[in-house]
Amino acid sequence: MLAAREKRTEFERQALVHTDALYGAAYRLTRNPRDAEDLVQDALLRAYRFWDSFEQDSNCKAWLLRIVTNTFINEYQRKKRSREVLDAATAEQDTTDGVLVHADASNHQTPERALLDRSVSDDVQRSLDALPDDFRTAVVLCDVQGLSYKEIAEIMQTPVGTVMSRLFRGRKLLAAALREFATTQGYVRDEPGRSIPATADPKDQTIDLDSYRAQKAREGSP
Amino acid sequence: MSLCESIDTLSMAYLDDELAAEERRELELHLGDCPGCKQHLDAERADLLLLRTALVPPPAPEMVRARITRALDAEDQRAARAGRKRWARFVLPGTAVAAAAAALLLFVGIGMKQPPSTQIATVTHEVVRQQTRTLPLEVQGASTGPWLREHLAPVEPPQFDEPGIQLVGARATAIQGHDAALLRYLVSVGINRVSLTAVLIVDVRDDVLNGGEAVRIGNLTLHLADADGQPVVTYVDDNHIGYVFTSERMTMKELLSIVVTSDLIGRAQQQLR
Repeated sequence: MLAAREKRTEFERQALVHTDALYGAAYRLTRNPRDAEDLVQDALLRAYRFWDSFEQDSNCKAWLLRIVTNTFINEYQRKKRSREVLDAATAEQDTTDGVLVHADASNHQTPERALLDRSVSDDVQRSLDALPDDFRTAVVLCDVQGLSYKEIAEIMQTPVGTVMSRLFRGRKLLAAALREFATTQGYVRDEPGRSIPATADPKDQTIDLDSYRAQKAREGSP
Repeated sequence: MSLCESIDTLSMAYLDDELAAEERRELELHLGDCPGCKQHLDAERADLLLLRTALVPPPAPEMVRARITRALDAEDQRAARAGRKRWARFVLPGTAVAAAAAALLLFVGIGMKQPPSTQIATVTHEVVRQQTRTLPLEVQGASTGPWLREHLAPVEPPQFDEPGIQLVGARATAIQGHDAALLRYLVSVGINRVSLTAVLIVDVRDDVLNGGEAVRIGNLTLHLADADGQPVVTYVDDNHIGYVFTSERMTMKELLSIVVTSDLIGRAQQQLR
């Protein structure tokens, strides 16, 4: 019927154009191409069912990313936990899938370059694995998707200050892990000055723009 | 408070473009004076660039798009089935259910299928075209009956058992050189309103409107046709008044289930007595 066709056309025009972005977020959140595909499909189907509740003037990409994030938190984490008891064959299969996808994407490069890229990419996924979910989600929404602190705060339903500290700590851990992988594999020279300083235990740092502003306002007024 | 104390927060917000214009200017001024903070921010910038480059994900494989299209198609079909069920429950109360069930049974069972004649094709096409024009109605609500008798023929506007179907009004028109009246009804389904059109045409021969599939309900013969993908139900009474029902928002089953609740059935039986 007419209304149904209009809905589908609008959904394709406004939502499906973000498929690449959603897949990118899902890929970094799940760290595995197969789960990423399932997650994107589930999230888009959910978005389609609730398309009536999308406020037409608001940011469609942020709305979709919220659905991807929530679907990931609610379902994929549960699925992952139950899957952890499965045998190593599955994990091996995942690795092979990953290699195939990347081999395809980089087959125009020299074999050495492709090998290097693949190793770096595996390192990224392994580094992400080591992050707590909340940190990873904040980093993915900001550094993969380019959302603002406020948009991330709405999606994760936390204050902006919490977003900032998760982002800060997540980035530090991730950068350290990436650097460590890169150093141990000999891709980059170890730069002594650039490793994480001992004082940088993230828990001891207050990263919050709002409290900075509040303090500044207190000092500003006599 | 010196900016140096908050350089972690400030450099992060600066690099993420989250500072207000004034805060930004203040920090940039400070960086010119403070080599320590400048070095800190430059190192943070380099780290962030490295991190963001490492995190660039691959694009979605083509297979994903195909899967999503299939999933949405399946969802459309599921919603269409559910929508039809809602319609059926709403539109068909009590006695009408039996009539509609009989109609649908005949529709499937002994419905004769004739190729639509050119005449019916032309008439239904013209009705569908008329129906989509947004000309104002000449008469509204309860005055429609008297207006119809005065301007067209001694005939009553079709009434429906269902309280959710309301006669909005009518305007005069002509179909294939015959005087006609276009009646507009509003069908309420939950919070939705769907428009239903009935066109009454005077002096039509039986065979002008009997193309498509024939459905008998009691002694009433309806014909079901399709005009440009839109369902059309036609009927010609003993006074050579042709009735053409259509709605651009309904399926044939929905339209038929509404038409069989009209008082045309009762009138046809009265004519027999």
